[in-house]
Amino acid sequence: MAPIIQISNIHKHFGSVHALRGVSLEVEKGEVVVIIGPSGSGKSTLLRCINRLEEFNSGSIIVDDIPLDSAKNINAVRTEVGMVFQQFNLFPHLSVLDNVTLAQKVVRMRGKVEATNVAMRLLEKVGIPDKARAFPSQLSGGQQQRVAIARALAMNPKIMLFDEPTSALDPEMIQEVLDVMLNLAREGMTMVVVSHEMGFARAAANRAIFMDEGQIVEIAPPNILFSTPTQDRTKLFLSKVL
Amino acid sequence: MSLSKNTNDPHLPTIPGNENVQRFDPWWWMFFAVIGLIGLLAVIRPDPYWRILKFVKDGLGTTVLVTVITFLLVLVVGLFGALGRLSRLKFVRGFTTVYVEVARGVPLLVQLIFWYFAFPSIIKDIGEALNIRAFQTYLANPIAMAVLGLTLCYAAYMTEIYRAGIQSISKGQMEAARSLGMTYVQAMRYVILPQALRVILPPVGNEFISLLKDSSLVSVVAVADITRRGREFTGITPLPIETWTMIALIYLTMTLFSARIVGWMERRTRTER
Ligand SMILES: Nc1ncnc2c1ncn2[C@@H]1O[C@H](COP(=O)(O)OP(=O)(O)OP(=O)(O)O)[C@@H](O)[C@H]1O
Ligand SMILES: [Mg+2]
Repeated sequence: MAPIIQISNIHKHFGSVHALRGVSLEVEKGEVVVIIGPSGSGKSTLLRCINRLEEFNSGSIIVDDIPLDSAKNINAVRTEVGMVFQQFNLFPHLSVLDNVTLAQKVVRMRGKVEATNVAMRLLEKVGIPDKARAFPSQLSGGQQQRVAIARALAMNPKIMLFDEPTSALDPEMIQEVLDVMLNLAREGMTMVVVSHEMGFARAAANRAIFMDEGQIVEIAPPNILFSTPTQDRTKLFLSKVL
Repeated sequence: MSLSKNTNDPHLPTIPGNENVQRFDPWWWMFFAVIGLIGLLAVIRPDPYWRILKFVKDGLGTTVLVTVITFLLVLVVGLFGALGRLSRLKFVRGFTTVYVEVARGVPLLVQLIFWYFAFPSIIKDIGEALNIRAFQTYLANPIAMAVLGLTLCYAAYMTEIYRAGIQSISKGQMEAARSLGMTYVQAMRYVILPQALRVILPPVGNEFISLLKDSSLVSVVAVADITRRGREFTGITPLPIETWTMIALIYLTMTLFSARIVGWMERRTRTER
């Protein structure tokens, strides 16, 4: 079977900034990939190119056999790909339940009852069914991020993208979010995760990727990448974060 | 909420910061004082006050009609203006920017005069040139032209209000909505605008009140609004003090009332979350 994500040789410029310099990457179905790298190395940009929140200048991305070109394909891909943001981005004017049901209703055309059932099942899964009627501002950061994960899962995505999902959280809330992600990985979800949580990477990831200056510098299983990196740039970076 | 308890029990001290939330705040007093004054004048001195009231009555209807229709149109046109200002297409953005600058840079009175006196002439000239009969005999409807002029001017200001409101919502909201597969229109409709609405409600309310007052300018372009009826009355009966006092009081009643409604809507959107 073809890899579920096929990125080949993409370039991305922001004006004079060359944010991605020929990145190629294939992700198999069910695989968990963790991306690390210094600030500004293009990790978020790469992730955002996968669901076209960012347009790239050259190269190609094929997601689940759908090439990212026409506007129609982009919406098709976006319904297959869930995304979780560093800042949660919950809809503050909607209750937790409505956050999780809104896109189900207007994009997936599910009825109210079905959407609510799906939402409650997922809120159960992320451990906060009792907060369904609360508003985002009444939740802790960790709870908000778990709602954001439930909201993305409600669309039945085949792929989940996480952009530093725990770096805006207080330390004591990080684990509850990582646990949800770990469960998701065990269930076979294809995941691309930008995160410097080495413990999570070791436990969940098949491969870890080190990015620097818009390029993939090194790819290896997390244990190997973290303990015996081959590239000097990787070593330098790891010596700073570890 | 605690407010109602506070107002029902006279023994409870006022909570600091809530002093203005009395059962009857000063604004209502003022509103009823103005209405009372109108009524009093009409009863004590029916001649001329009751006569003035009767004379300008249908003008009042016209003023309200012009204001309300214009405002509804402004709400719609302003929204499209804002989306144009925020469009990714340079051409659309440029066009709306020019519109906003022109509409805000020319005095409203001049715009109204243009639409009523100049625009029909343009249509007629085109009719002559192209020999189109319907254009040659074109007659401008005063109310339609007044609504057009007011709408185009006020929509420019409304465009900027909407734009500021939409831009005050963090980019992450649009991205989250789009990443869930919503279209741009769906994201606007369900995610961005409901949040922006809360931000723009106060300035939008102020626009309504300004519009209500500025609608008096349409009296210059043959619309028989309350101001024009006032002028007609003083033309027949030389009682300028009485007439314009009465008309000022009527406008004041309407603006005070509108301000109350706007305030009430603001409070409602703030508490229901
Ligand atoms: N919208 C944008 N406009 C201009 N430049 C941008 C934009 N987004 C990203 N960049 C630039 O592109 C480069 C890569 O940014 P990116 O956000 O992908 O890095 P990152 O690896 O995610 O960093 P961080 O760890 O800080 O999140 C940076 O130099 C950044 O300044
Ligand atoms: Mg980033």
